[in-house]
Amino acid sequence: MVLLGIVVPFVAPVVNPQDLPVHYSSFIAIVFGAVGTITTPGSSPLLPSITRLWRPSAQRNIRNQWSKLSLLKQQWASSSSSGRSHATSIVNAYLSEKYIPSMELGSLSDMIDIRNKVCLKLSKQQKLYRSKLLSSYKEMVDIVVQMVNASRLMKCYFKRSSSSTLVQFSNSSEDNNNDDVGDGGGISVFTLLTIPCFEKLAEELVHMFELELNLKRWLLMELFSLGSESSPKSLVWSEELYSGEFDNLCLCNLWSEETNELLHPSLKGHESNTPIVSSNQHPNAEVLQVYLVAWLAEVNIHTKRVDEIFELVSEEIHVGLS
Amino acid sequence: MVKKYQQRFRKFKDEMDRWDDLQVRLISQYQNASSIIGRLELLQDPKNFGSLSGMDGIVDALLGKQMESLQLSFSSIKKTMEELGNVVRSMEKIYRDGKQLVKGGSNQPSIKQLQQRVGLKPSLEDCLNGLMLLCNMHRSEYNLKESIVSALPELFWKARNHRAQDLSSLQQLLVDQPNIRKEEVEFIFDTILVPEA
Repeated sequence: MVLLGIVVPFVAPVVNPQDLPVHYSSFIAIVFGAVGTITTPGSSPLLPSITRLWRPSAQRNIRNQWSKLSLLKQQWASSSSSGRSHATSIVNAYLSEKYIPSMELGSLSDMIDIRNKVCLKLSKQQKLYRSKLLSSYKEMVDIVVQMVNASRLMKCYFKRSSSSTLVQFSNSSEDNNNDDVGDGGGISVFTLLTIPCFEKLAEELVHMFELELNLKRWLLMELFSLGSESSPKSLVWSEELYSGEFDNLCLCNLWSEETNELLHPSLKGHESNTPIVSSNQHPNAEVLQVYLVAWLAEVNIHTKRVDEIFELVSEEIHVGLS
Repeated sequence: MVKKYQQRFRKFKDEMDRWDDLQVRLISQYQNASSIIGRLELLQDPKNFGSLSGMDGIVDALLGKQMESLQLSFSSIKKTMEELGNVVRSMEKIYRDGKQLVKGGSNQPSIKQLQQRVGLKPSLEDCLNGLMLLCNMHRSEYNLKESIVSALPELFWKARNHRAQDLSSLQQLLVDQPNIRKEEVEFIFDTILVPEA
């Protein structure tokens, strides 16, 4: 500013700190290492040095959680499809059992008790496939529980430990002081997305699976009550299918706080929580086919959106998620 | 000279293997699409939903989802057809190159040379005709498939009782590949390649 040879001494005008452009103060903070005293709006409340360390560990965590989600999605697909084949077997066995009395057996009809034996066999088969279907359902519940867990562990907290001088991070908020909300002060983890962004995407994703799980539960109960002529114990929505089920479904956000019972199945955008009244009649073949299609179609999981989410995240975190 | 043709036939065989793989894929994709078309009618009537119709919005959601997967399988069928087209084109290229072998050379063989057989070896004419026949078979089969596949979306609008029948007879046609006569193909390969064995 002051050139040699200019005689008139230059007097710098007095500049108030408030008059400085906003980025000046952060510039000063970097240059002078001003610690904790100067924070511009929107910048991290953590010390810059900690922020620098926070990033890689937050990145590692985000990569882990999303890889988990991607893997869980694949596991869901395989459990759902094996569930569908068990469901189909139940329906087939049930329908054949129903048709046996009217079936033309030809010369087989000479065999004593043939119809009863066939019926017995078919109902045994139904029982077998019911237990298989239940275990597929259990798998799906576990998968959604893990999804929920993964979606909740996106945050990365600064861990203050008095014993070591090392800066450590963890994704549980237990041992951190209050001013750290685990999002690195709202800065982007990689290039664009912040922790809340990742959380929102995960939440949207997991919510689809939660709703679908509930629909599958309903379908399963309908299929289970098919053979209930022989066993009078019919299933009730508000009873557990296996012990510990409701604890898990609670974790999957399928428990209503208001009514203190399990939410009723609904579609996204149609959340009403009115129970679906089951008719006392046994469904006919067409209805059963629709049930199977409903199981197959996964109406709550919007494939395009799911792909979109994974694509977006995968680009951001530079990890291929298929 | 005959050796060169035998090489070409081996290349042609590779293309035919690729064709077979694609054929398997096409059939499963077709089955997928046709089973969806088959149940669309069922899904259009809320009566068929039983108790499930008590769930708000389920009819539209399920139909929408099925239409989505139908579209997906249409586009995958289209992709497979494109690949089949590529196979046919490379088959035709093999044939064209084969023709070049005799006609493009400096010393054009006489008709007598073309028809000459040495021992069990096929004549050059046998080789050329064989390639041409194989090409034609696959080309016309491709055209047939093309028209079957393009008929698929139209079946939507057909009355229900016709639809199921049409779907299954078209599928049979797709499986049978009437333009590719197995015995003839085998015969051609036997005459050209056997002397080597």
